Amino acid sequence: MRLDVVKNARLYLTISTAVIVAGIVAMVLSFQQLGSPLRLGIDFTGGSSVTLGLACNGDTCGKPIDIAVVRQAVESKGFANSVIQLVEGKDLKGVSVRTAHLSTEEREKLKSTLTESLKQYGEVDPKKSQLDEVGAAIGQQALRNGLLAILLSFAGIGIYLAFRFQLDYATFAVLALFHDIFVTVGAFSVLGLTLGVEIDSLFIVAMLTICGFSVNDTVVIYDRIRENVKLDAGNTSFNDLVNASVNQTLGRSINTSMTATLPLLAIFLFGGATLRFFSLALIIGFLSGAYSSIFNASILLAWWRSRQTSKLKQSTVEAN
Amino acid sequence: MGKQSRLLAFVLAILLGAVYLIVIHPPKLGLDLRGGAQLTLQAKTNPEQGINEITPRIMETAKFVVEQRINGLGVSEATILLSGNNQLIVQLPGVNDPAQAERVLGTTAQLDFRKQKKGTESELRARLQILQAATVQRELLKNSGDQKAIAENETTYKKSIEDLKGIFERTGLTGNMLKDAVASPSGNGPDSWQVALTFDDKGGDLFAKTTGEIGGTGRVLGIFLDDKLISSPSVGPEFQGKGISGGRAVITGNFTLDSATELALQLRAGALPVPVEIVENRTVGATLGADSILSSIYAGVAGLVLVLIFMVLYYRILGVVADIALITYAVITYALFSLLGVVLTLPGIAGFILSIGMAVDANVLIFERTREELKAGRTLYKSVEAGFYRAWSSILDSNVTTLIACLTLFWLGSGFVKGFAVTLGVGVIVSMFTAITLSRSLMLAMISNPQFRKPEYYGMKAFGKISTVTTDIEAETEVVDDHNDKTDNTKDNTSGAVL
Repeated sequence: MRLDVVKNARLYLTISTAVIVAGIVAMVLSFQQLGSPLRLGIDFTGGSSVTLGLACNGDTCGKPIDIAVVRQAVESKGFANSVIQLVEGKDLKGVSVRTAHLSTEEREKLKSTLTESLKQYGEVDPKKSQLDEVGAAIGQQALRNGLLAILLSFAGIGIYLAFRFQLDYATFAVLALFHDIFVTVGAFSVLGLTLGVEIDSLFIVAMLTICGFSVNDTVVIYDRIRENVKLDAGNTSFNDLVNASVNQTLGRSINTSMTATLPLLAIFLFGGATLRFFSLALIIGFLSGAYSSIFNASILLAWWRSRQTSKLKQSTVEAN
Repeated sequence: MGKQSRLLAFVLAILLGAVYLIVIHPPKLGLDLRGGAQLTLQAKTNPEQGINEITPRIMETAKFVVEQRINGLGVSEATILLSGNNQLIVQLPGVNDPAQAERVLGTTAQLDFRKQKKGTESELRARLQILQAATVQRELLKNSGDQKAIAENETTYKKSIEDLKGIFERTGLTGNMLKDAVASPSGNGPDSWQVALTFDDKGGDLFAKTTGEIGGTGRVLGIFLDDKLISSPSVGPEFQGKGISGGRAVITGNFTLDSATELALQLRAGALPVPVEIVENRTVGATLGADSILSSIYAGVAGLVLVLIFMVLYYRILGVVADIALITYAVITYALFSLLGVVLTLPGIAGFILSIGMAVDANVLIFERTREELKAGRTLYKSVEAGFYRAWSSILDSNVTTLIACLTLFWLGSGFVKGFAVTLGVGVIVSMFTAITLSRSLMLAMISNPQFRKPEYYGMKAFGKISTVTTDIEAETEVVDDHNDKTDNTKDNTSGAVL
C-alpha cells in the first residue's frame, strides 16, 4: 500500500474538518442545553452522588429495580432535581443518585430513603456503596487546573519541538494536537447529548495522555522527514520527501496505534465501569492522533514548505 | 560478545531484585480499590479571633489536631496530607460510614463553658425535661414518615435548645484553653464511663473561679458545643468558694464507652486553631473497589496478551525479543512503584497498562528500522545496530513529549490524577531504559548465534542484496529510497563507529 498524502490532501483535510465541525455543532447544542460544551460531572460542578449496591451473589439477584419507584421515593422526601440512574455490573445491582451539595444530615436522610425504597429488591450492602461529595469551589478549581494543565502541556510540547526541530514543525504538531483534542471533545459532547455521559477528572487525564501519545506519532514522522531532507541534499521536492517519509513510517504508525489500542479496547469492553469512558476517550483520541499525524500534520507541513520555497524563488527572480 | 553478556546479566540481576521486591513489599492499593473514605478539609480564616490568614504553622497545628481525632476514631493506617496552602487530605482506609468520620472531623466545634444564671433552678429542670422529651420523640419519628409530626417536633426541639441557652451566661472559658479530654472508666460498673478534662493555666484559673461561684448552689456548669448544650454537670458543695483548682475535672453522667469517646473527641475538636470545612468526601465500599480492580486488571492483561501475540506474529523472532523486554519492563516498573511508594489507584493502573502499550512503541520503531535496513540489503548485524541507532532520536523525542504531559498532570492534578501521572511517567522512563539495554543486548547476543540467523525468522526471504533484486515490490521502490540506500552506506560507517 502506498499513500500519496500530498496529492489527496483535500480529501483528508475535508474528513478532519467534517468531524470537527460535527463536534462543534454538538458543543453549541450542548452549550444551549446544559450551559457548557460538555456534560460536566460532579468532579467539576460540585454536588453529591450516592451509589447504593444491593447484596446479591451471582445469580440470586432478585427482580430488577424499578427506577420509577426509587424516583418517587426520592422526590417525595424533597430531593427534587436529582438524577437517578441504575447501576449494573458483574455481581452488582443498585442505584446512583446525584443531587446538589448535601449536608451530612441530608445525605443520611437520602441514604435511608433509598435503602427503604430498595428493600423490596434486596438488602443494601454498605460494602458496595459509594459516596462522592465535592464542594462547588473545589470542582471549579479542578476544572480550571485541568484546562490549565492542557494548555501548559501544549506550550511545553510546542517549545520542546521548536527546540528539537524547527518552529514550523512545532506549530503543525501542536495544530494536529488541537485536532485530536477537538475530535475527542466533540465525540464526548455528542455522547453527553445522546447518552447523558458526563465527563470527570479522568477525562482531563485522558486529554493529556492523548496529547503525549498523539504527538509521538507526529514526531516519528517529522523525524523521518527531517532525516530524509538531510540525506536528499535538495534533489527531490519536499512534497515527495513528505510522501516517502509517511510511507516509510506507515507500518510503524499502524502497528503502534493498534498495540496501544488493544489493551484499551479490552478495558472498554470488559473492565470496571469507572474506566469505561476513560478508555473510550483514549481510543478515540489515539485513533484520531494516528490519523492527524499521518495526514494533517504532514500535509500542512508540505503545503507550508512549498509556499515558502515558491516565495523564495520569486524573490530571487525579482532580485535578479 | 562479553559486553552483551555482562549487560544481560546486569538486567537479569535487576529483574530478580524487582521480583524479590514485589514479593516482600507489594505496592499499596489506593482507597478506590480497597475501599475507604477520603476527605478534603479546608481551613477557613477566622477574623473574629483575629486570624485573617492561614499560615503554614496553623496548618501544622490543624493537621496535628486532626491526627489526634482520627486516632480517637480507631482507624489504622490513616494518612493525613497537607495539600496546597489551606487543605488537608485525610484518607481513612476501611471506613465505610463517612458520616461518622464527618461528624468528628467536620464539626467546627466551638466549645465554651457557661454558668447557670441565678434563680433559674426550677426553670432548668423543666427545660431539660422538654428537651429530653423532644429528643426521644425525634428518634421515634425519624422513620415514621409523618411529615407534619416531624416538623412540629423539630420546632419544639429547636426552641428548647434556644430556651436553654437563655439561662446560661458565658464565663470566657473556651475550648482553646482545653488541653486534653479523654474518656476514662468511672469505676461504677463495666460500662460506665466519664470524660476527664485538662485545662491550660489560664483555663484552669477560669475553671476554678467559675466552679467556685456555682459550687454548692445547685446551679450547674453548662458545656456548650456550637451553642448547643451537650452536658450540664453540677458542682459539689465542697468546691464552694475556691472552686475546682489544678486545671483538672471530670464530667460524669450516663456515658457508655462510645458516647464518652465521642464527647471527648468533640471537646478536643475545640482545639482546632481555625474552623475547617469538608469540601470533598469520596467513599468507596470495599467490594465495589475490588470489583472494578479485578475486571480492569483481567481486561488489561488480556489486552496485553493480545499485544504479545501480535508482536510475535508480525515480527517473528524480533517479536519474541520484544515480548521478553516488555515483560521485564512490566516487572521492573511494578517493583519501582513499591520502591517509590506509589499508591496504586484505578487511574494509576490504567496509566501502567497504557505505559506498557507505549513501551511496545520503542520496540516497534527499532524493528521497523531494522527491517528496512535488512530490505536495503545490509547484513543482519549492521541492520540491528542501525535500527537502534536510527530509532533512538524518535524514541527520545516522542517519550519526552509524553513526559511533559505527565509533569503538568503531576503539577496541577489532584490526588487520583497525580497517581496516573506518576505511574505513566515512571513507565515511560523505564521503557526507554529497557528498550536500549535489554532489547538491544538480547538481539545482539541472539544474532551472534548462527542458529538464530535464518532469514525467515526475520520475515525475510534472504539476507543481503539479493532480496532487493528478486522481490518485485522492492524493484518499484521510489527514487528517494534508492538514494537513501546510497547515502546510508556512507553513514553506516560513522554509526558503526559511534556504537
